[in-house]
Amino acid sequence: MAQSSALAQRPAPMPRLFSRGALALILAVYTLYTLGPFLWLATMSVRTTAEISADHYAWPRPFHWEQFRSAWVDSDFATYFWNSTLVVVGAVAVVTLIGAAAAHALARYRFRGNRLIYGILFSSIIFPPQITLISLYQILVDYNLYNSLLGLSLVYVSLQLPLTVYLLEGFFARIPQDLFDAAKMDGYGDLEIFWRIVLPVGMPAIATTLILNFIQLWNEFLFAVVLITDPEKRTLPIGIRAFMGDHFQDIGMIATGVMISVIPVIIAYVFFSEKLIRGMTAGAIK
Amino acid sequence: MAVVGLDKISKRYGSSGPVVVDDIDLAIGDGEFMVLLGPSGCGKSTTLRMIAGLETISSGTLSINGRAVNNVPAKDRDIAMVFQSYALYPHMSVAENLAFGLRRRKIASDEVDRRVKDAAGLLGLTPLLARRPSALSGGQRQRVALGRAMVREPQVFLFDEPLSNLDAALRVNTRSEIIKQHHRLGSTMIYVTHDQVEAMTMGTRICVMNAGRVAQIGAPLEVYWQPADTFVARFLGSPPMNLLKATIAPDALHARSAAVDAPLTRWSDATLAGIAGCEVTLGVRAEDLLIDAAALNGQPHGSIRGRTIAVEPLGAETLLLVETEGGTECIARLPRNVVAAPGEAVELFFSAEATYLFDGQTGRAVPALATTPAAQKAAAQRKSH
Repeated sequence: MAQSSALAQRPAPMPRLFSRGALALILAVYTLYTLGPFLWLATMSVRTTAEISADHYAWPRPFHWEQFRSAWVDSDFATYFWNSTLVVVGAVAVVTLIGAAAAHALARYRFRGNRLIYGILFSSIIFPPQITLISLYQILVDYNLYNSLLGLSLVYVSLQLPLTVYLLEGFFARIPQDLFDAAKMDGYGDLEIFWRIVLPVGMPAIATTLILNFIQLWNEFLFAVVLITDPEKRTLPIGIRAFMGDHFQDIGMIATGVMISVIPVIIAYVFFSEKLIRGMTAGAIK
Repeated sequence: MAVVGLDKISKRYGSSGPVVVDDIDLAIGDGEFMVLLGPSGCGKSTTLRMIAGLETISSGTLSINGRAVNNVPAKDRDIAMVFQSYALYPHMSVAENLAFGLRRRKIASDEVDRRVKDAAGLLGLTPLLARRPSALSGGQRQRVALGRAMVREPQVFLFDEPLSNLDAALRVNTRSEIIKQHHRLGSTMIYVTHDQVEAMTMGTRICVMNAGRVAQIGAPLEVYWQPADTFVARFLGSPPMNLLKATIAPDALHARSAAVDAPLTRWSDATLAGIAGCEVTLGVRAEDLLIDAAALNGQPHGSIRGRTIAVEPLGAETLLLVETEGGTECIARLPRNVVAAPGEAVELFFSAEATYLFDGQTGRAVPALATTPAAQKAAAQRKSH
């Protein structure tokens, strides 16, 4: 009797197959929905603007791979790419290092004003960064950092630091105190504990902020366009804008430029995706 | 090898915060296994952390081998600690965890390797050296934590409730392992626990703590048989000692209440004369209660009258929960063949030698003339140590 009731409770194979199929269908549709624009952009990047105007969605015939060479060499994308790399990698490295150290201090040490500093940092996340644009412009001019990659890099550091500290503080606060005590008993000082324990243990969260900051800054346009005027110092997003005139927009080359700029982001994501997911879900399950 | 001294050690959080450890005096001998025992929040872990150098000392002097170390950082005290949570570094392998402390001390790498191999061999960790802590069971992690302390070859070992996260069977095994290592190393060890079984089986001496103060220090059986106050009497023993309010009779020969009548043969006439007519707390351990007075062979004995509330047959023995006529609950540990039903009137008997007397106001034990044989044995054990 008990056996028959157990059999009755077991889900029938057909509904399970159906539910799995439905799930697969939803995922496939969602993937197409998100991937579609990217694939469209990819096809446009090897088509000329005239071809795109004739038929927006046609398959490339032939593939104009020379557009990549043209963008890289003739349109100075090599310089823009290098500028973006310098500014973004520098800013992300500094943000990560200072952000991790600040987050560790706020999470681990009790000192007067700890929560006040945290509150100020947190409040700066709430306000839109655009409101700081005019004052930052003036500061950079005053310190001879306007129209310089170093100036832009410093601005990027200040933009991303609060969110970085906020994300890392939450993660670091969950590292058990016993781990720090054990390291102290093993003979390590505060700085060594930060290097040898906090950074490796906090790597999932650090990788998360690393990739988020990298994507955010790599695509940053507003501050770059206001604070950089010299064509030699353009970053990629401003370089892509050069294909947009008042009367003519070179859609094919814009797509080629976007594809060039998106490659490092994809590489970074592939490299850090596992740690990113771990960082995003940290604490979600015990 | 080290002698650890705590001289009027106190800990207060903030200038006006609560005092969590209050005026502790404790001398721990070379090679001794001292257990700090007490309920949660009694200050035992804070005391241990002050010895480790992980908490500052508000007042008093902590010394190791006669040298005051209040201001010596944790890393320079030559102390190793095993944590309740194991505190293994999750990003390092077992071998790296074991060697981490040694590398900081700039010990030659072949010596580090030797110590790691020796410790791993002793603790059965050799096949696990390449694994990360996340790939280990609770017992294996605890052994790594023990090994990490051992490889340091410190003067003093500290243990902060190291068995709390293990299941019952593993706890027994690891307990034996720690005792074995204490005998092998002969080091001074200080062990914090709230588990009286661990304290009784492992400690050379026990320091029972209550509300930040030392309640009693002594050899395990001495503390068990000669509790200094009602707190220690109830804290050590499972089931805890039965305590009943009573009044010393005017003739100072008995302590009586509605529920209990106990002859007082263990105390001197002078002591009893001093408390005649006073309210006291009478104590009897559960295992000293009998259902049949004949078993006492005519020895002087007392009795407790009440009504059975519950019967708990445990197989090897039976626990009888009785509500006395005064309304206090008592537990008797009786032979397994005892049959009783809830609601039945019952009278429990105990030898006059098994009676404890505590001051009705302060709860301090009233000093007895003679102690039980087991207590005499405990005293002898303490002297020999």
